[in-house]
Amino acid sequence: MNPFHFDSLVWHWPIAIYLFLAGISAGAICFAVLLKHFKLGKNAYKSSFVQAACLLAPLAVFAGLGILVLDLTKPFDFWKILVFYNPTSIMSVGVAVLMIYQVALFSWLACLFKEPISNWCDHRWPLIDRIFNLLDKHEPTITGSLVMLALSLGAYTGFLLSALTTFPMLNNPVLPMLFLVSGISSGAAGTLLGGLLLKGNPDSKEVHFIHHIEIPIILFELVLLFTFFIGLIISGGQSQVAAFTALGEGFWGWIFWAGIIVIGLTLPLAFNLFMTASSKRKLSYVAITASCSLLGVLLLRNFILYTGQMTVA
Amino acid sequence: MENKRRLFLKCACATAVGAVGSTKLIAAQSGTKTDDTEVEVNYALIHDETKCIGCEVCVDACRETNNVPEGVSRLEIVKTGPFGEYPNQYFSFSRKSCQQCDETPCVNVCPTGAAYKDPKTGIVSVDSWKCVGCMYCIAACPYQIRFINPVTKAADKCDFCKETRLKERKSPACVDACPTKALVFGNLKDPDSEIVKVLKTTPNYRSKTDLGTRPKLFRIAAKNGEIKL
Repeated sequence: MNPFHFDSLVWHWPIAIYLFLAGISAGAICFAVLLKHFKLGKNAYKSSFVQAACLLAPLAVFAGLGILVLDLTKPFDFWKILVFYNPTSIMSVGVAVLMIYQVALFSWLACLFKEPISNWCDHRWPLIDRIFNLLDKHEPTITGSLVMLALSLGAYTGFLLSALTTFPMLNNPVLPMLFLVSGISSGAAGTLLGGLLLKGNPDSKEVHFIHHIEIPIILFELVLLFTFFIGLIISGGQSQVAAFTALGEGFWGWIFWAGIIVIGLTLPLAFNLFMTASSKRKLSYVAITASCSLLGVLLLRNFILYTGQMTVA
Repeated sequence: MENKRRLFLKCACATAVGAVGSTKLIAAQSGTKTDDTEVEVNYALIHDETKCIGCEVCVDACRETNNVPEGVSRLEIVKTGPFGEYPNQYFSFSRKSCQQCDETPCVNVCPTGAAYKDPKTGIVSVDSWKCVGCMYCIAACPYQIRFINPVTKAADKCDFCKETRLKERKSPACVDACPTKALVFGNLKDPDSEIVKVLKTTPNYRSKTDLGTRPKLFRIAAKNGEIKL
């Protein structure tokens, strides 16, 4: 079987990229919120890592939506998804979540960058001052909604696929959890990499904070992957066939064992533990760890999408 | 600061409760919806595999009647075999087309409602104007019979000739064209219809019922020709 072309394949790699980008966006903004509330406080906007997360979150979501629209057979009719809703469709609910998420995202970004924007405006436009006052008053509400929406968005990327009863590997209750957790870890990696590109200090308290969260997340991801496949194997029938087809020999087997398990999870975990033990963070270590993590998540999305569609119920 | 944290927690809880509540509401709504659609007409089809000779006249009739472009197809006859020893060899034939499920995976996933079940006839169809071509329905159909029509760019499939022959009060094209009368079309709600009589008296099976799709394409099995475990 050709790894990229087979009869039962419906959704191709653009969907995997979209799922990846939506996960990064949700993960990055979660870390921006955590960094602001637990480490940096009012001056959070000055941190390169927070800035990177705040750039990454909207850009990733826009790019993902762009890819999604271009992948339609009728790209110019995409507005119909925004006008007509079907409450039983995960995609429809997901589009609604994405829209509200963007509103919450930009409101929160405005709260975060209130000081520099206000200074730049210098009270020239009273309307902007009024908007800022309103947002400031509701900041806790906005932050709370944003975190919930980001987590929903991360889980939605999994629910989108797990709603497909056709494919026993995708129709799996662990999948939304797996995509949520790997999305958060890709957000962490994206934030670190972006922060370094914006000349952030690789030994700063932001990096320490993110790495401390990353270790349990990677361990949890490994547990979820284990549960995902063991669950399929002990379900028997086509679920078992699907799991063995995915993990067995061939192109996607290599991607799973070498790309996802070794490069995507084990190496970052080892680097993180080593850096915690030695408590010294160098630019190259942080960058390599984050790149491995990002690559692993991208491969995971493609692996699940393609191998998931190989076996039909 | 303390106040803010409390507000944050309150808000997060409210959002979570709201999300759970709305899904419950949706579930309740869809539950009542199925009760309301108790209708007089619910069309179904029987493919009698003991009568089918695999001539594919139905395939051509379908293409012509519904203007299905070349390269795609609403209806296929899948041939397996040959079985047995010469000269007593035979094939078995199975119909691959929309199963007109009562519990429709395609309608459930369609984000715009372009895939819908007609409440008057129980026929699952596509509103090609509303369809944006996300292909979610194609992935969601366990029978893998949906395709993108290269002309309309919308998802397409068998609709029992709802827009063509049924409007003229005729049977679907494939049913009329079949030379061996292997296809029986009719209303499941009419106790005197031929389809109900056949289904009540003849052993039949349906494909992938374990997925909860409740398909309305019934099949009468021909002899197996092989043993599959």
